[in-house]
Amino acid sequence: MNQTELIEKINFNIIQGRMTAEDEGFDEGLEGQPAVTELIEQAVEAGIDAKIIVLDGLTGAMETVGAKFDKGEYLIPDMLASAECVGAAMDILAPLLADAGVESKGKFVLATVAGDLHDIGKNIVAIMLKGAGFEVLDLGNDVTTGRIVEAVKANNAQFLGLSALLTTTMREMGVVIKALEESGLRDQVRVLIGGAPTSEAFAAEIGADAHCRDAFHAIDLLRQMAA
Amino acid sequence: MIIIGEKINATRKAVKPMILERRETELIELAQNQADAGAAYIDINVGTGTGGREDEVEAIRWAVTTVKAAVAKPICVDSADARVLAAGLAACDGHDAMINSVKADPDYLAEVLPIAARHDVPVICLAMDLEGIPKDVAGRLAACQTIADAAGAHGVPEAHLYFDPLVLPIAADATQAKVTLDTLAAVKDRFPAAKTVMGLSNVSYGLPARAQLNAAFLAMALYAGLDAAIMDPMDSTMRAAALTGTALMGRDRHFRKYSRAFRNA
Repeated sequence: MNQTELIEKINFNIIQGRMTAEDEGFDEGLEGQPAVTELIEQAVEAGIDAKIIVLDGLTGAMETVGAKFDKGEYLIPDMLASAECVGAAMDILAPLLADAGVESKGKFVLATVAGDLHDIGKNIVAIMLKGAGFEVLDLGNDVTTGRIVEAVKANNAQFLGLSALLTTTMREMGVVIKALEESGLRDQVRVLIGGAPTSEAFAAEIGADAHCRDAFHAIDLLRQMAA
Repeated sequence: MIIIGEKINATRKAVKPMILERRETELIELAQNQADAGAAYIDINVGTGTGGREDEVEAIRWAVTTVKAAVAKPICVDSADARVLAAGLAACDGHDAMINSVKADPDYLAEVLPIAARHDVPVICLAMDLEGIPKDVAGRLAACQTIADAAGAHGVPEAHLYFDPLVLPIAADATQAKVTLDTLAAVKDRFPAAKTVMGLSNVSYGLPARAQLNAAFLAMALYAGLDAAIMDPMDSTMRAAALTGTALMGRDRHFRKYSRAFRNA
């Protein structure tokens, strides 16, 4: 397999959501064929530049997945399967990217705010961000404002993602932003918020930089911010 | 969940002439349809109730040879006669197969288990003995133990045993569904390497709306530890119960099978 074919296969298998050879895909009958993990290893062995694998193999594939999800063609588990593939691929590729001196797109602290135990959406966002080249520090769920501010400070993070799934806990996001202001950190970090009860208006109200509808929207917004 | 397609059974009116008259095309079609509908094994039972033992031996040879040449699925050779089983397995000749079935009958076990060991195939083991089907969990478990001991002695590994806890119609005794479910769980506990299998439809005999009882029972059985079901793979209610139950048990990674079946429903 040459480089183009290999990258195409990686792309295809991410869209199919097949992490290892025994996995089923979105389509039937793919079991047994090499999947993302095996193909990434092949690509690395063949000496293909890790950066090219990420750009041509991973990023494009997740864009396709995002489009399919938006259209309703893909369901949450389909998207999760693909995101899991990207996560597995990045586990292999991240050290190589670091060795090659490829800089990450920035440090991204992620947390579900205090009092809120929801983390499925946040976890998807974490995987997508890793796949998009960010250095992700996921603090988990029910994270106190103090810990969030501390993590932003200690890691000198450029991005902070806050998640809340309850109308009672979404207010906590505003508290976090206030605390960042009081600590003099607000200017160094972009705050992105998300979660079912949140909205663009709410983001504006509490002084967040952006509201993300879903993980794909988050990636889109970040790309716009970088441009 | 492993589906064993039950439709090639000569006790069914539509199948009997198919076997007796060696209607090859129809037999293959019935096997293929089940395979297409998700059957992992094709059960073949040629016991028509007419003719003698030699006729059945001839019939199983023909049916197995016919199906294995056309359909790439393992065959579940189904008979209560060890000679028919032996002939069916011999006809499989390396094609993946399973034996359906044995019970806790020492003489019969001594005949059938060596066949299973020789062909290295799994065996469905009914949780019953010479007295019939025990009414309680302890009795059924004892029957399973007898079979497991004999299997060990004949070199059939525990992983090749598919225990069938058996189910009696609840119409006659409402406690029986639970006895079956509890037996399933007990079998899983005592024989962790073994698998479990069941023909479920008996549970609803004599009651209306049987499909919904069967479907609910299948879902409950999956929770209790059912690995395989002998059923009509074309029955959409049962297929739905199998898919939903398996998904709810977390045994359908990324809901691939569930989503594939229902995403456009």
